[in-house]
Amino acid sequence: MAESTASSSKQVPSEMPSSPLAGSSDGPNPDLAPSVIVLGMAGSGKTSFVQRLTAHLHAKKTPPYVVNLDPAVPYPVNIDIRDTVKYKQVMTEYGLGPNGAILTSLNLFCTRFDKVIELVRARSSTVPLTIIDTPGQIEAFTWSASGTIITEALASSHPTVVIYVCDSARATSPATFMSNMLYACSILYRTKLPFFVVFNKADIVRPTFAQRWMTDFERFDEALEDSRGGYSNDLARSLSLVLDEFYCGLKTVICSALTGEGMDEVLTAIDECKQQYRDQYIPLYAEMRAKKVEETAKRLREDAKMGDLTSEVKALDVGRVRDSDDENE
Amino acid sequence: MKCLQLIIGPAGSGKSTYCSVMFDHFQSLHRPLEIVNLDPAAETFNYTPSVDIRDLISVDDVLEDEDIIMGPNGGLVFCMEYISKNMEWIHDQLTDGDDAYVMVDCPGQIELYSHLPIMKEIVTTFKSWDYNVCTLFMIDAHFVLEPEKLIAGALTALSSMISLETSAVNVLTKMDQLPRESKKEVEDMLESDCSQLVNGVNDEPWNERHAALSRAIASVLDDYSMFKMVALDNTDEESIEDLLLMIDTTIQYGEDAEVHDRIPKEVDPNEE
Repeated sequence: MAESTASSSKQVPSEMPSSPLAGSSDGPNPDLAPSVIVLGMAGSGKTSFVQRLTAHLHAKKTPPYVVNLDPAVPYPVNIDIRDTVKYKQVMTEYGLGPNGAILTSLNLFCTRFDKVIELVRARSSTVPLTIIDTPGQIEAFTWSASGTIITEALASSHPTVVIYVCDSARATSPATFMSNMLYACSILYRTKLPFFVVFNKADIVRPTFAQRWMTDFERFDEALEDSRGGYSNDLARSLSLVLDEFYCGLKTVICSALTGEGMDEVLTAIDECKQQYRDQYIPLYAEMRAKKVEETAKRLREDAKMGDLTSEVKALDVGRVRDSDDENE
Repeated sequence: MKCLQLIIGPAGSGKSTYCSVMFDHFQSLHRPLEIVNLDPAAETFNYTPSVDIRDLISVDDVLEDEDIIMGPNGGLVFCMEYISKNMEWIHDQLTDGDDAYVMVDCPGQIELYSHLPIMKEIVTTFKSWDYNVCTLFMIDAHFVLEPEKLIAGALTALSSMISLETSAVNVLTKMDQLPRESKKEVEDMLESDCSQLVNGVNDEPWNERHAALSRAIASVLDDYSMFKMVALDNTDEESIEDLLLMIDTTIQYGEDAEVHDRIPKEVDPNEE
């Protein structure tokens, strides 16, 4: 483990002698301002939601700290991935398509994430919370090594909350709704962090239908029955029973990034989640932290095909040291 | 019977690699195979697609077009919508014989499956041409090294399965890149019942809090033979064969074939 920390410091070309988890070196602190990771499918209104929440906090004279991790979207924030990584340049330089470029940008940014954590922690006495906007394509964050590193690095430093933004207007079909909820559930299992769902765009469609489906299983079953034919209906029904269990422990907030509805409820939910973090995650993370993040960091380096190089360098170094030892003798 | 494998999964999960491995495998079996690249943002791949959607439209075309101002994601959605309206373009290039076997290498964005109706429409079109469609959901085995993560992977796969309404096989890719002990762990997890896995996790507060949910998920995964998860090691011929056999069974390949070159001679022909 010590070895991989050492090799990671080599590829970070800075005075910071650390891996991405340096910010957490003194362990998780449950009293710091929470970081809120905003996830959601492309087009669910993540960025508008972040902007509205920011404006809401500004109006209360408690401006938040905002971090943007989407290399393809420009808007004013405190820390912007685009200051570190030029998306267009990554595309041309590495000969990548739009997707590969987003992943690579995130990987590159990840190598500097220790700095971000440092900044966020430094700010945490003056801001109520840190909001983190993620790339438009959700799996660039949920199914990537860098997304895992960023999430775990944050969670092992201070309270971290995940918000899943769901587009109410698109969730009106039972199948889409179910698919969205299954995805939300998978995020819960992947991150194991305090988590709640925001039904955004309440100004377009009132998500009361969603709440009814979530509280009344039979009603959802009926809707499902009406909208689907035969084949996987059975599976869908069993899954809706599973989801029923998921809803029991799930907090949801109805809001609209357009009208600003529901923002106070979002803040209350974040506070509750912060408490959850203290009760459940501190014991868990204290233990998991060192082991897990190291593993993923190692994997990321392999992904970036830098692992071989650094280990070769290391082997050379070791060889050299040994040589000189021999000479001394 | 016309068969079609729809290859989906997150970016970097090994979709294109799977296609090229199967391309080689099919060639050595002398089985016909056509591959369709359906990802307008694809970069390079080491198989020869019979149909390359980028000849019709590519994300770069859209991004470079000054009349359409879109980010990369909007661009992709625009392309996919265009494709779903021009499916005949693909149909014309397929041999479309009775024994056609097609693999479709899809874009990774989950939004196309669970958020927008586009992929569903594309699948419906293929079905209307009498293709038996089987969805293959690729998951990088590196991301599922623990029971909880495996469940997360399964849920992600289910989320796409539910909206596509096809039969499905879930493939854990890159098994060859795992360290030996992790590989063993993953194989053990796949062999045991999900319920056992869930009961076996340690009693962290998080696990306790979600115990009921985990059990519910596990029981669905166990009870549904429709949900299959297979590990794939690209370097192991046997692993590839096993997977293909499972897909062929799911897709019902060759059930109506008159000459089946893989059946040994002693089998009674009347049974066919």
